[in-house]
This record gives sequence, structure tokens and C-alpha cells, in this order.
Amino acid sequence: MITELAVDGVPVLLAPTTGPMHAGLAFRVGLADEPLARRGITHLVEHLALHSIGVADYHYNGATTTEFTFFHMQGAEADIVAFLNGVCRALTDLPMDRLPVEKEILRTEENGRGGNPADMLALWRHGARDYGTVAYPEWGLTGITPDDLRAWVTRYFNRGNAVLWIAGPGLPDGLELGLPDGERQPAPAASSALPVRPAYFSGPPNVVAWNAIVPRGAAAGVFTAVLERVLFRSLRQESGLSYTVRSGYEGRADGTAEITALADALPEKQGAVLGGFVDVLAAMRLGLIDEADMTAVVNQRAEELTRADETGGLLPGRVFGLLTGRPVQTLEQDLADLRAVTGKDVAEIAAVACADGLLMTPGRTRADWAGYAEAPAESTSAVEGVAYPMINHPEVRLIAGDAGVSRTGDDEIVTVRYAECAAVLAWPDGARRLIGHDGIQVQVEPTLFAGAGTVVREIDARLPAELRIPMPARDPDTIPAPPPAAPKPTWRDRARVLGGYASRYAWLAGLTLMTLVCGLGALFALILLITGDEDAPGLGPLAVMIALAVVMGRAAVAQVREMRE
Amino acid sequence: MLPAMLPRQPVLDPAAAYPRIAALRTALDSGDWPACREILDAAEPVERTCLTTVAADADGVADFLRGVLRGDPADGAAGALLGRNLGGTPEAERILVDAAARSPYDPAIWTARVGTARSLGLGASEARRRYRRLAAIDPHHLPGQSAFLHHLCAHDAGAAHAFARTAAAEAAPGSLNPVLIAEYHLDRHLTGDRRHLAAEEVRAEIAGAADRSVRHPEFRRTHGWVQATSTFAMAFALIDDQTAAASLFASLGDFDSAWPWERLGDPATVISRYRKRASGGER
Repeated sequence: MITELAVDGVPVLLAPTTGPMHAGLAFRVGLADEPLARRGITHLVEHLALHSIGVADYHYNGATTTEFTFFHMQGAEADIVAFLNGVCRALTDLPMDRLPVEKEILRTEENGRGGNPADMLALWRHGARDYGTVAYPEWGLTGITPDDLRAWVTRYFNRGNAVLWIAGPGLPDGLELGLPDGERQPAPAASSALPVRPAYFSGPPNVVAWNAIVPRGAAAGVFTAVLERVLFRSLRQESGLSYTVRSGYEGRADGTAEITALADALPEKQGAVLGGFVDVLAAMRLGLIDEADMTAVVNQRAEELTRADETGGLLPGRVFGLLTGRPVQTLEQDLADLRAVTGKDVAEIAAVACADGLLMTPGRTRADWAGYAEAPAESTSAVEGVAYPMINHPEVRLIAGDAGVSRTGDDEIVTVRYAECAAVLAWPDGARRLIGHDGIQVQVEPTLFAGAGTVVREIDARLPAELRIPMPARDPDTIPAPPPAAPKPTWRDRARVLGGYASRYAWLAGLTLMTLVCGLGALFALILLITGDEDAPGLGPLAVMIALAVVMGRAAVAQVREMRE
Repeated sequence: MLPAMLPRQPVLDPAAAYPRIAALRTALDSGDWPACREILDAAEPVERTCLTTVAADADGVADFLRGVLRGDPADGAAGALLGRNLGGTPEAERILVDAAARSPYDPAIWTARVGTARSLGLGASEARRRYRRLAAIDPHHLPGQSAFLHHLCAHDAGAAHAFARTAAAEAAPGSLNPVLIAEYHLDRHLTGDRRHLAAEEVRAEIAGAADRSVRHPEFRRTHGWVQATSTFAMAFALIDDQTAAASLFASLGDFDSAWPWERLGDPATVISRYRKRASGGER
């Protein structure tokens, strides 16, 4: 039984628990709210807010997810009260003196994180904004100032944008919170970087992963669990191709849910894991769902819900729902929704999911053969503007125009338009990396392009300061240098460049002919000269013809020698 | 020249030996799906799989088969035929993905998918996965074994040899499956190593395979017997065991198969030459 209360203007969901008391304060702000240039700011707030709690042996923590940030604790009532009051106090007056240290801690924490499949799917699906920013490093940390933090806290960490849950006998005494006034902040709309779905892109060699956005609800939850069962049976039990097979369901504020599934693969089995995965998705798409799987999933889910409800485990989900405008459901309603899911409902969700699917194929494998479109990894066009060829590598060009910057060459075009730029990384040595809304990047290295200093100044002038991400100085050894110039071709190299044997024979024939012409000409002139003919040329032209004949002749001999080798 | 003096032209059309092929072609050409199904449903699994390959050479039946599938998406026979008709293309594969999902125990579909795994370059592990799905339904399905062997030969001769040996050893005495041994050795011989067939152990292995297959007392003329016998005949002809080749040519009578002779050139010409040589007419 859930009771809805309020403390200091913050809605509270209270439910009894058979286990230890726990509570959590959640705010409707997460990674999806962070502009790329401020990536990490919410996490930083979370760390600063918890710093003042400082008691290591209690069960408390904070978490920043895509849409929510929450602080939770399990323990004695008095400790929970002190914790919640302490977090709120810290939020209203962040310990800014801790800023450098906490930034350092976050950087260390981040170094332990690799690009996980969920992040890569988010990046390819959403690009460099809202639900895609989760994939990026906490680039904002360096540039975030105390003023930035205060503005962020004022907007998001207020009583209008918070909900508290308490699993325990009642509202504890002494709970003050004391959060400032503010408004509920809706989650951002999700961007798309996928013009066509279903789509695929190539990821790391040891995993196949997939996600889809579907209408949220019990049927989508059941489908997620059925998918895992079928994948597990096919890829692990029947074929032994994968060890880890998992699926996940995460509701979103906008009434959708993200379904994710993954299966690991040995690199030498990647083709088979992909093939088996594709086959399972095809069966789902066609609505071929086993009643026995449905029943097993529904029963298991019902038991999990019932058990979680006993210890207040459903409270965080209900709090998130309330923060995004969904009414608070009871366990009985949840169970009724679950039991009402039919095979047809699941088949419908499966079809929607497969049509929206984004597949991450292992290594260099593709999925176009299975009807998945290649997700765009480059731009469709370059901007118009001034082209700067790469030093010693002129086929690679940097193009800077009014609309943005492109880099072309190597059969690839990447473009970031100023109007669609998510962020620009700025190094002290002048290098810039523009990141477009679609996640496509253009790296500008002034050392590689003559005149690129102009481009850098243009970029800095055209992009608003809030998109700029200052980067620490690079080790001089890591600043790229132009590729070495190819040795200047000699005239014989040019002959070689002309191509294969045919042209070399033609070259030889030409040389021979010219030698003969010059030689005979010289001979004829010499005869005229000797016979004292009045038309005889002077000594100059004669010398030139002899010299030409010698040069051509030697060239012809050299060519013959070379062709013999 | 009198017709009687014309050299005998090899009969390469499989329909000559298997009348159901002609019947299926007629039914396909006239767009008579119930008749197609009647023929396919009456066939043994291996025969049925072989019959579906008829669609590969049938022109203008794709739209007819698409229509059948629209009417009944779960018709695995239509899926297999359309998959064959579309060749090793991505569209064929997409038809076969759905067909395999709807009819996961249809050996004709999995045999076709072993072929598309190769033509689409989906990798060794995926070809093996598909073959295993087939073997789980029928561990001795020769058309699928042959397709998988074809794939293995192109990538891993050692694995191909092992596969052919195992499949031959596990098959019933007198069955067609040991022909995989001959197929393997012919492939080695024809893809570069021209001394391959000269090795004594290779000759012995081919002879042993023939003894357990086309030369076994329990050998029956089930669907595929012509190609199996013809393949052994070619192997013996190339090893220069003309006696063995002649005896197999004799048992083939008027029938021959284009595969694998076409690997040597125009099959009719090549077969005529080797038949003549085996009968002592040309050395």
C-alpha cells in the first residue's frame, strides 16, 4: 500500500517494508539534459552533494542516470533523516572548494569506463544530443565553473523537480529537506541520427547488441524478457555460441521504452552469433512467440514484482513515474496489467521493435544481407567554401565555408555545420574537433593543413562560446605532423607512372624514333656543313641535335635495360 | 551422316532420371501451386530438397511464388523455391530468413541457407551454424552436406576433408553420402593441386568410399544417384582407373550429370571424351 504525502513541498511516496528502512530523493535531471559541452555536470553535482555526508560505513549512494538523479540510503531512521537533510543542505550550498578534487575523482572514475554496447547504440541512434550524450566522456568537467553549477542546481535540484520515497513504517521525524522553489523540468525530446531503420553499424568484435524504442507498457516488458529467453536458448543452450545473453527494458519519460539485447561472441564465432541473433529477431518480427515463453515470463515477472513490493523495491520506479507525470500505480494494477498481456500484444510490440531496431554487428561483419540499412558513418555532402589541401597529401582537403567545416578524401566526407554543431573541442595548440548533432566529427589539425590557422580562427568566431570544450594541452609528440612528402619523381618514374608494359613499349619506341630523327638530322647537317652547302646550319643547331640524339639514345638504352630486369 | 552413326550425346537433364522434376517444372510454369505442393509433399526429404533447386533455373516464376507467399507466408516450400529462384542474393536470403523462422525444421530451407551463407560471404562460423541447424533435423542430408562441403573447400581444406570423412563414415552402408569424399578430392585436384589424385592414399580413399556407396550391395537408386555415380566415375576417370570408371558409366546407362564434369569444360563434350576413353576407344 502506497501513501502519497509531502514534506516541505516535495511529494513523498511512502510504503511499508518487511526489510530495513530505506529512502531516496530523486530529481528529474540526468545525462540526457546535459549539452555535450556540459557533459558531467549532473554527476559532479551528485558528487559534491554527497561529499559532505562523508560517512563511509553507511549504505548510501547517489546515481545519475539518463533521465534522473537520486540519492538513497538504507539504515536507521535517524541516519536517513540526517542523510536526506544533509544532501539537501549541500545542494543549496555546494562545497565549491571541493571542485578541483571532485573533478579529478570523476576523471579517474571515467577512465575505468569503456565504451559499452549501450553507449554505442545510444550514440548511433541519437547522435551527440540528449539521449546520445551518455556515450561521450565527461568533457564538460574542465570548463565547469561554480556559476555553471549554481545555475544547474537552481534549475533542476529544487522542490518542484523532486520526489522522495520512503520504505518504512511512516514519515520520520525531523525531515526538513529545505530545497528552494522551482519547477518540474520535462525530459528532452529524443533526437534521431538514423534516417532509416532497421539499421546496423559495426562495433567491437566480441559482442552483438541491439536496441529499439517502443511504446512503454507491460507488453513491452514481457517482450523484452521473452526475447532474452529465446536468445539464450538459441545462442547459448542450443548452439553454445554465446556465454552472456541479456536483455533490458528501460521506460522513458516520453511514454516510450528502450529495449536492449546483447550476446557476447568469440571473435571467431562472430558471424554465427550475428546470424543466430538475426534469426531470433526475424522470428520475433513475424510474431512467432511461444505461449510457453510468455507464460513463464509473466509468472516470473509477477513473482518479482510481488517480492520487490514487500521491501519497497518498486518505489524508485514509481517515483520516476511521478516525476515524469505518470500516475502512481498499485501492485495490484501492475499485476493486472501484466496478466492482461496477450500473445498478440507481444507480437505487435515485437514487430514495432524490429522495425525500429538498431543492430551493432561484431567486428567487420555487416547486416545489410538481413535487411538492415547501414547507419550513416559519414556526411552526405561537403560544405561550400575554401579548400585547404593536406600538406604532402593534397587529396585530403579541409573545406571551410559559411555553413561549416568539411574534411574530404579517402573516399569519405565528414561535415559539421555550424547550425548543427553539438560541441567543439579546443586544444591549446590550435587543434579543434567539431562534433555535429549527428555525432559525426571533423578534426581540424593546423599542423596538417597550410593556412588552417584561418579556419581555426573562423571556427572560434562562428561557434558560440557555450559549445566550446577546453581540452588540456597535448603531449607535443601526439600532435600530428604532416605525412612525409613523396620523393620527387624523376623523368623515368614518370614513364613508369604512365602504366604497364604497353606504355613502356610506346615510350621506348618514341625514344628510339627521336634518337633516329635527331641522329639522322645531325648527320645530314654535318654532311651539308662538310660539303659547304650554303643552306648548311650553323654549329649551334648541329650541337643541339647531336646532344638530343645522345640523350634520347641513352634514355632508350636505359629503358631497355630496365625492361629486361 | 546417318543418325545412327552420331556419337551418343550425354543426357544431362536431371529430369530424365527423375520424372518428378519435369512434373514440378510444368506445375511451376503453369502457376499451379496445389500441383507443386502435391509433388513436393510426396517427395522424401532429400528428394524434396533437390526438387526445390529446380526453381533456380526456372524463369519468370518469382512473381508467382511471391504471390503464393503473400497468400500463405508460412508456406515453407514456397519460401525455399523462391529463395532458390532468386539465387544467392540478399533478397533470397531475406526470404529464407523468414522462411526459416516460420518453418525451422525444413531441411530444404536450411540447405538453401548454407548456400547463401557462402554466396553472401557471411563467414565460416555462420555457414557452420546453418549446417548444424540442418544436421539437427537430418544428420545425413546430402544436398546440405554437399553445400557445406563446397563452403569448407573454399576456406579450409583440412576441415573439408574431415567433414567429408565423418559424413561418409556416419552414413548407412550403400547410401549416397560417401560421394562427399570424391567431391572433396576432385575439388582439391581441380583447384590447383594437379598431383592430388595421384597419391596412393587418395586413390584408396576414393575406392573405399565407392565401395561403401555406389558399389555397395545395398546401394539403391534413390534421388541423387545419378550425380553420385557420375561424380565417382569422374574421380576414377581422373585417377586413370578406367575399369572402375567404365563400370560406373555402364551402370549410369544413358544418364549423366553436368556437375561436377562442367568443372572441366563443356560437360557434354568432356563426358563423351571420358566415356570413350573408359571404354577403351581413346587413350
